[in-house]
Order: sequence, then structure tokens, then C-alpha cells
Amino acid sequence: MTNIPLIQIQQLRKVFTMGKQKVIALAGIDIDIPAGSFTVIMGPSGSGKSTLLYLLGGLDRPTSGRIMINQQSIESMDENALAQFRRNSIGFIFQSFNLLPSMDTLRNVGFPLWFSGISKAQRDKRALDLLRTVGMDNRALHKPTELSGGQQQRAAIARALVNNPALILADEPTGNLDTTSGLGIMQLLSDLHRSGRTVIVVTHDPRMLHFSTHTLYLLDGRLVSEAEYNAAASMIAQVTQPEENPTP
Amino acid sequence: MHFWDLVKLIMENLGRRKGRVALTAVGVVIGTAAVVVLVSLGLGLQKSATSQLYGISDLTRVEVYPGMNDSGGMAVGKVVMNGGGGGTDQGMNLLTPQTITDIQAIPGVKAVIPVDYMWAGGMLKYGKLEGWAQILGVGVEDLAAFNYPLQGGTTVLERNTAIIGSWIPNNFYDPKLRPGQDPPAPPDLLGQRVILVLSKYTSDGQEIRKNITVTIVGVLAETRGEADGTVYVRLDDATAWNEWSRGTRINRYREGYSRFIVQAEDTDVVLDVVDQINAMGYMAYTPQEYVSSINSFFTTLQIIFGGIGAISLLVAAIGIANTMTMSILERTREIGLMKAIGATNKDVLSIFLGEAAGIGFIGGLGGTVIGWLGGQVLNVVASAYLAQQAASGGGMMGGLAAVTPPWLPLFAIIFAVLVGLLSGLYPALRAANLEPVIALKYE
Repeated sequence: MTNIPLIQIQQLRKVFTMGKQKVIALAGIDIDIPAGSFTVIMGPSGSGKSTLLYLLGGLDRPTSGRIMINQQSIESMDENALAQFRRNSIGFIFQSFNLLPSMDTLRNVGFPLWFSGISKAQRDKRALDLLRTVGMDNRALHKPTELSGGQQQRAAIARALVNNPALILADEPTGNLDTTSGLGIMQLLSDLHRSGRTVIVVTHDPRMLHFSTHTLYLLDGRLVSEAEYNAAASMIAQVTQPEENPTP
Repeated sequence: MHFWDLVKLIMENLGRRKGRVALTAVGVVIGTAAVVVLVSLGLGLQKSATSQLYGISDLTRVEVYPGMNDSGGMAVGKVVMNGGGGGTDQGMNLLTPQTITDIQAIPGVKAVIPVDYMWAGGMLKYGKLEGWAQILGVGVEDLAAFNYPLQGGTTVLERNTAIIGSWIPNNFYDPKLRPGQDPPAPPDLLGQRVILVLSKYTSDGQEIRKNITVTIVGVLAETRGEADGTVYVRLDDATAWNEWSRGTRINRYREGYSRFIVQAEDTDVVLDVVDQINAMGYMAYTPQEYVSSINSFFTTLQIIFGGIGAISLLVAAIGIANTMTMSILERTREIGLMKAIGATNKDVLSIFLGEAAGIGFIGGLGGTVIGWLGGQVLNVVASAYLAQQAASGGGMMGGLAAVTPPWLPLFAIIFAVLVGLLSGLYPALRAANLEPVIALKYE
């Protein structure tokens, strides 16, 4: 087994241009994420954590810097190569599930396989196996509108696994869920990690830290220490609390 | 992505917004129906016009006359002087038996029929009646080769038989009719024996007559052409009677035939055949030249009619573009998701182009059916109107009002699909080139 990390990020910088203003989302960060880890990226809104996730998943391109995944430099890939990379190497889980309302759960889970040219029989078989894994096989023929939030996210996790990717990227996976459902999803992600996959979760939810092997803290596009992050978080809480609970 | 998976996905996506797709397709239905009806109408009018011309003269027929060569003072193109071509006589390119072989070698020529006038006389006698006619010897045993419609009898010519044009009975008169007497009714000559009076003159100017009895075995229907006033006999009969009149044998290699009737394989090649015969130094004529100018008029008419329909389709195309643009806006997150799970730009382009083409196909199919039905309704109405006109003596029964050839529905559907594809191209390209991260965050 080699010591080379699965993900190597060097001087990663992302700048958005909004009108005449330039917003620095990531200010040149360096991260190494080992294979088989469960990494949680914590940060307040606007800290750049989702931007980092999308860059890792090849959904966006950096302004500068380098992203190596499995020793492949993804920032230099063309559109087709990126699509293939996303299809074969990445499983995305979104806060808002992003299931297609016209398809039943089984077909939603098997949908990524359409683009791989897999036959319907194989698609359905693989999708059903994964639905069984996430405890959703009894809801296979239901449309997303007939499922609860937790069930939809379970189906979305099954979909993320359908191409058997090495890397799972989750953007606020519990953000739209109640406490119990959120905990169930965290447990499921932890199971994926234990089965050997590398999991990266962007979240506000501190409960996720119980399952993580690595934690990254982001503030204003920079990596910070836990102490720095906690200080900033408590300062934010002090500033916002009086407004949220004004004393009579 | 497999083709049939793509088709299935497109059908499902269209099925998700049935109402909007149906409303958009209605525009294509109207445009396609307009194209089908108007082009059918144009084709129907053309067919009706040319079918009446066919009644006047067979359009596959070419009349060939001896050509004047350059020394004869007329420029008739290249003159074949030797090497197997026709013979020449006093500046003429004669129509010899060799010429028959030469013309038959032209691609598209079905038959070359030599014909000769009978100059030994043209008087006919039937009982006490007399008549005059142009007598033509034809080098075929069956006059069916001329495609003349037959009123009665047969088209097969045997020795000493004749087939007469429709107007011949009207040429008979009673030479002993007194003033005030009613002229005799035209005789029914079919199956009757008619005396053909040949005549020649001796060197001292005395007329010698010879009566030949011929049996009328067929009567042609009206052609409104030369055939109406002609008596057709076999060429060998006419040659024998001409030789009697002249007193010497006729050498076709030296003297040629009066003219040839050339039958082309179909109307498309007639003009080429005429050009090639003219290039050989003979004079060839066809009514097709007249018909081709009529055809070009109707082609223009069809283009104008088709253009009117195409304008409706243009409006429909804008509708498709609008629907697809709206659809892509609504489904931006879906596009983002597809890209996140591995769809390439080409996959997304195929899906949205396919949906636009699908709307075109649905509209094209509906429009073709409605257009065809519209043509049938037009035909029923036109037939009823023409029948009413004919009954009141006010007009002739015409052909169909609208003709829908098998290629037209196919063309209309393909055209509608192309309209869909073209109008969906811009929205589909926009969808394909969406940045996945922007699409996923689209609210």
C-alpha cells in the first residue's frame, strides 16, 4: 500500500466575478485526503466549503491550483473526460436530493447507468440491490413525491453508489432532514466509509464529527484550526443571538 | 447512451408535459397540413392539366422528319453523312432503314415506326358515297404502338385492312345529292368494305384508276389531332400502291421514308431523345417541349404553395424554440444533475434535440394525416361540383383536385422533424453547454 493520498490539493484558488466585484471563495488552500477516510468539512455559509466540494467533484473549474485525485489531475481534463470522471469515480449526494420526479425510485437510482450504456435489466438489478442496502427496496416503485425526506436521501445515496465510485461527495446531506432522519443518513455514510470508500461531507451539523476520521475547518476561503474556527463561530453566535432573541 | 434508451427517455420527457407539447405540436400540425394540402392541390392541378394534354397527343411520341444538311441552307446541327447514318439526297438527310437502327440505339427509345404518305390517291368509296382522307402507311402490324384510343374494332392491321380516324365518316358525301336534299348521315364503317381509288397518269396525261377494296377493322376515338382525319394502312400496302402509281420500285435506302414516329420509354427522356435525333441531322418534334413549359409553371406554383405552408411551419418552429427554451429553464437543475452523475454535453444535447424533433414528428404525423384527409375532402367537394357542372352542361369532368403522392407524407414528416431539430438546436446547445455547478444551484 502506498502513502500517496487519494486527493492532493495544491494552492487551490477560486475567484468568482460578481459584476465588477471579485469574490475569493478559496484563497489558495493545500489539503491531502487519504484514501478510505471520512472527512468532514465544517464552515459557516460563504466559507467556500461547497465550492471546494464541487471543485473536487469536477463540477467546477479552479481559477488556479491543482487537484489530483488518484494521481489524475482533474483541472486539465476536457468536458468529456470530466463527465467520464464524474460518472466512474464520484458519487454525489445533494442537500435537496435532486431525484427526478418523473421517475420511480428504482429508475432514479439506475439513472447514472443510462449514460454508461448499461442494459435495463442490469440497471434495474443493480439499483434494486443498492435500494436493499439502504433499506429502501420496498419503496422501489414509488415516485420521489411519495417518499419522506429521509427516504429520498437514502435513494439519492443509492444512486451515488450505482457506478461503484471510490469517492463519495456529500453536500449538506442532512440539511433538509429532521434529527432522526439526519442521524440515519449519517449512519449510512459511516457504513459506506467502513466498507472502504472515501467519504467527504460538507456540513454545518456538528453531529457528523462523531463519524469522521478527519475534519477540515474553512473560514473565508482559508483552512483554519479547530480553535480558530470555534472562536469565530462563537463570535458569530454572539453577534447574531441578540437579534434572534431580543430581550424585552 | 443506447439509442433506444434515448428514445424512451425523450418520450417520457415529452409525456411529462403533455399539454404544452400538444399545444406546440398543433402549430406544426397546421403547418404540415398546409404543406400537404397545398402541394397536393398543386400536383392535382398539374396532373389534371397534363392529363388533358395527354388526351391530345401522346407525350412519349416524337415525330422525326428528314433533315436539311448545311449545303441545303438550314442549320440543323450535326449532319451524319456517312459511317452508317442516313443517306443524303439534294441536301437532305433521308430517313432510311439505317436511320431506324441509329435512332433505336439512342437510350430511352422504345420503338421507331416508319410511316409514309400514300400519294397514289386519297379517294374512298362506300356504296354511293365518296370521301377523301389522308392515307398513311405505318410500319407496324398493331396500331396500339401509337397509343391512340380505340372507339371500336381492333388495332391489328392486316393486308388490305384499314383503321380510320374518328372524323373519317364525316368526310363522306353523296356526289349525286341534289340541292335541297338532306346530306346523308355519316356511315358506320366498322367492319365494312371500302373502295380505295388509286390513280396515276400516263405520259400523255390520261388518268388510270385502280380500285382496291379494304376492310375497315377499327375506328379510333377522338384524339383532337392528326389521327382524326387519317386512314391507317400497312406500310407494305401503301408502298405497293405507291409503286403501282409510280411504275417503279421504291428503294428506301435511296429515297427514305416520309417520317418516323419514335416512341420514347417515358416522358422524362423525350427531350433528351429529341436533342439526340436533332444532333444526328434530322428534325424531331415533340409536344413535350410545350408540356415542359407547363410543367415548369406548375413547379413554380407548387413552390409558392409549399412556401405558404412553410411560413406556417416557420411560425410553428418559433413555438417549438419557445417551448424548448422554457423547458430548459425549468429543468436547469435536472440538467445539472445529469451532468453530475456523468452525462456528457453530447448526451444532454441529444436529449433536448430529440425532444424538439419529437414535437416536430408528432406535429408532422398529425399534420400529414389531417392534410391528407383535407385533400380527400377537397376531392369529394370538387367531384360533386364538377359533376353538377357536367350535368348542367356547363363543363367537363376534370381530374382529381388534390393528388397526394406517397413521397409527400414522408417528405412532410421528415421536414417537420427537421423543423423541430433546427428550432431546438439553440435551446439544446444552451442546455448542453450549461456549467454543471451553475445548473445545480439554479433556483
